[in-house]
Amino acid sequence: MARAHETTSGTLLPTNSPAAVWAAIGAVLFAAQGGAFFGFVVGVLGDLLTVTPLPGAAFVTAVEAAVEQIPTLLSRDVIPNDGYWNGSRWVGTFLGLPPGLAWGIRAALVYLYAFVFAGWVILGYRLYRREYRTADWTPRDDMVDRFRGHKWGIFGLVVVFMFVVMAVFAPVLGPTTVDENMRNSYSNEITYWDSDAEAVQTTLVGEANLASQSRGDNPERVLPMEYDDFGRFHPFGTLPSGQDLFTFIVSGSRLSLVIGLLSVGLSAGIAASLALVAAYYKGRTDLGLVLASDSVMAMPQLLLLIMLTTVLSGTWLAEIYSGGFVLALIFAGTGWTYMWRSLRGPALQVAERQWIDAAQSFGQRPLTIMRKHMLPYITGYLLIYGSMTLGGAIISIAGLSYLGLGIAPPTPEWGRAINLGQDYVATGSWHISLIPGLLITLVVTGFNALGDGVRDAIDPQSDATTEDGAAGRGGGA
Amino acid sequence: MNKLKYLGKRLLMSVPVVWLGASMTWFIIFMGPVDPASRLLSEGQTRNPAAYEAAQIQLGLNQPPLQHYLDWMSNLAVFDLGQTWLLYQGSNVNALILDFLPRTLWLGFWSVLIAVFVGVPLGFYAGMRSNTASDYVASMGGIVWRAMPNFWLAIMLLTVLGSAYTLAAGDFFALNFDWQTIGPNLDSISGSPDLSRLDTVDGFLAATKKVLPAAIVLGSASMGNEMRIGRTAVLEVRNEDYIDLAKAKGVSKRALVWKHILRNALVPLVPIITSEAFLLIGGSVLVETVFGINGIGNLFYQAAIQGDLPLVGTLMYVFILMIVGINLIQDLLYTLIDPRVGLEGS
Repeated sequence: MARAHETTSGTLLPTNSPAAVWAAIGAVLFAAQGGAFFGFVVGVLGDLLTVTPLPGAAFVTAVEAAVEQIPTLLSRDVIPNDGYWNGSRWVGTFLGLPPGLAWGIRAALVYLYAFVFAGWVILGYRLYRREYRTADWTPRDDMVDRFRGHKWGIFGLVVVFMFVVMAVFAPVLGPTTVDENMRNSYSNEITYWDSDAEAVQTTLVGEANLASQSRGDNPERVLPMEYDDFGRFHPFGTLPSGQDLFTFIVSGSRLSLVIGLLSVGLSAGIAASLALVAAYYKGRTDLGLVLASDSVMAMPQLLLLIMLTTVLSGTWLAEIYSGGFVLALIFAGTGWTYMWRSLRGPALQVAERQWIDAAQSFGQRPLTIMRKHMLPYITGYLLIYGSMTLGGAIISIAGLSYLGLGIAPPTPEWGRAINLGQDYVATGSWHISLIPGLLITLVVTGFNALGDGVRDAIDPQSDATTEDGAAGRGGGA
Repeated sequence: MNKLKYLGKRLLMSVPVVWLGASMTWFIIFMGPVDPASRLLSEGQTRNPAAYEAAQIQLGLNQPPLQHYLDWMSNLAVFDLGQTWLLYQGSNVNALILDFLPRTLWLGFWSVLIAVFVGVPLGFYAGMRSNTASDYVASMGGIVWRAMPNFWLAIMLLTVLGSAYTLAAGDFFALNFDWQTIGPNLDSISGSPDLSRLDTVDGFLAATKKVLPAAIVLGSASMGNEMRIGRTAVLEVRNEDYIDLAKAKGVSKRALVWKHILRNALVPLVPIITSEAFLLIGGSVLVETVFGINGIGNLFYQAAIQGDLPLVGTLMYVFILMIVGINLIQDLLYTLIDPRVGLEGS
C-alpha cells in the first residue's frame, strides 16, 4: 500500500484511495441496473427449475417476483416505447417520442451502459495492475498486452460482448416482451389509433399480430424498421405469425448463450480432466481414452445429436429449459472428444516436464499434481477451444431447431426463425430468414475471432485450431 | 516396412472403434428411455397387445438384452441389416441403403472437389501474398464463409438461383443470369440428381448441375478450413531453412514454389481434407433436407423423426463404417505424402 500512496497521490484523484473511488463507481453502476442482472440469473434458474418437481421451484418463482420489484434505471417502465397515437401526439411513450425512437434510445442506453460497465472493469484491472499489485510484471501481463494489440481478437471480443449483453438484457432490449407478444398474446390488450374510424381503440395483442403478419408480398407485411398498423415499432419486422422478430431473436440469444456456455463448460471440464489423466498415466489409460474418443467421434456429431434428442424426447430431462438442458448435456457428451484431442498434446508436453518428476518424488498425490502442476498450463488452451466450440454449438442448436428438433417449438430460437421464413425469402418478406442467419454468422465469426485472439495472446507461436474444425462448425450444421 | 506396420496398426485400432461405436448405438437405441417397439406402432396398435408382442418378437426384444445385443451386432457384422418398419415399409435395408447412398456420395464427391479446388488454391494464394490487400480479402472471406450456417446458406442460395438476374454495365454489356437455362435444363433446381444416365455426357452434366448448389453449400465449411490451413502452411514452409537453402542454390522460382513450398504445405492439409467427412456426413442431413435430395442423410433424419429407431441404429453403423474408412484412407495418404510418417518412435 505504501507504494500505491507514492504513485497515486496527486496523479489520479483527490482521494488517496483510487480503489475506493473505483468501487464507488461500480456501486453506482450496479445500483442502476442491479435488477437486470438479478433478473437474468433468476430468470435462467427459474426456467431451469420450473418443470422439475423440486421444492426450490416455488421459491425461485417467489424470488423472481421479488426481483421484478427492484427499481432499474434502464427498464421498460422508465423508458416505455409502447404507446399509441391519439390523433395529435404519442401517448404513453418516453417523453412523447415516437415508439421507434423511444425504443432506439432505450437500446442505445443499454449498450452504452454495458460498454461503460466494461470500461469500469478494464479500469479496475489496470488500477490493480499499476497501483496495488506487488509484482511489477507477471507473464500474464504479456498475454494481456498482446491481446490488446490484436485487432481481430478485439473485434471478436466486442462482438461476443454485444451478444452477451443482448442475452443478459433480453427483456429490456425488445420492443415488446415474449410474454406479451407471443406466449400470452390473447390475454394482453393494446391501445392503438384506428385511422379509418379516426379514434383510439383497443384490441388484443393476438388480434393485432394477425393483422401484421409477414407472409410474402401481402400488404400488411412489416419490414425491418417499420411500424405496423397498430403503431407498434418492429426493428427487424415481423414473423409470418405477426410476432415481433426482434423480440424473438433477443430472447433466442439468451437461450443460445445459456446452452452454449453450459455445454462448453461441461465438455471443457470433461476434456481437461481426461486430458490430464491421459497425460499423467500415459500407456494403457491413454490408449483406452483414445479408443473411447475415437468411437464417439466416429459417430457424426450432428447425427448423434439427432439420434439422442429423438430418444430422449419424451423424458423429464427433455422438459427442462424447453429441451435446452438435455441439448447441453448431449453437446457435452459428444463434444468433449474434439476438445480432448486438442488438449491431449499440450497436456502430454507438460507431463514430460521436470517439475512433475520433482513433485512425484516429494510424494505428492497424482490428483494434486494434476491440479496444481499441470492444469494451469492447459487452461489457456481451454479458453481458445472453448471460444471456438461455443460458436459451433450456436450453429448446431440453430440447425437442430431448424429441423424441428431440440428446443420445443413455442420457445424462440434463431434456427426456427430461419425455418419460419424460408418460404418467403424470394418474396417481399425476405427479412425473416435473412436477419437471423446474418446474426448467427456474425456471432460465430466473433467467437472464432476471439479464439484466434486468445490463441495469439497465449502462445504466439502455435496455430492451434480445433483438431479438424469440426467442433468449431457445429458438426456440419 | 515401417509404413506397412504403421498402417496395419491403424487398421487394427479401427476394429475396437467400430465395435465401441456400434455398442454405444445399440445401448442408446435399445436400452434408452424410448421403447423402440412401441415407437414403431401407431396409436391404435399400441393398445393391441398382440401387435405389440409381434413387434417385440420381430425386433428380438423379447430376448434377454445380452442375447439381443449379440444378435444385433452379429447381424451388423455380416451386413444382414433387416427390414424397415415405418419408412418405405418392409423394404430391405441393404437395398434401401444401396439406393440412397450413391446420391449422398455424388454430393460428397462434388463438395470435396469444389472445396479442394477452391479452398486450397485460395489459401496458397493468400499465403504466398501474406499481409497484402488480396490476402486480407481472401482470408476474411474464408472466415465469414466458414461461420455461415449451412442450412441458411442453402436457403439463400436456392433463392438466388431460383430467380433470373440481369447484370448490366451501362449500355455496353449485359449478362442475363438464369441458373435454370445455363447448361442442361432441369425441371427444378432442388431435388435428387438422376444418377442413372451418368455415362452419357448430357446425363452427367444434368446430374452435376443438380447437385452443384448443394455441394457448394456442403463444401463451404471445409473450404474455409482448407483455406486457413493452406495459408498458414505456406507461411510456415516459406520460413523454413531449406527454402533459404534452395534459394541460395539458385533453384528457379517456379521449382521453389511447386516443389519445395506447395508439396510440403500439402501435408497439414491431408487431415483437414479427410476429416471433412465429419462435416460432410453431419451436414448432409441438413443440406439434403433443404435441397430435397433423397440421400442417406435425409433417410436418417426421416427415420429419426418418424420413430423408426432400428433403422436409425443401422444407419448410424453405416456412418461409423464410413468415417472409420475415411480415417484409414487419411492414414494411407499420409504415408504416401509425408515420408516421415511411421519413422518416428520406432
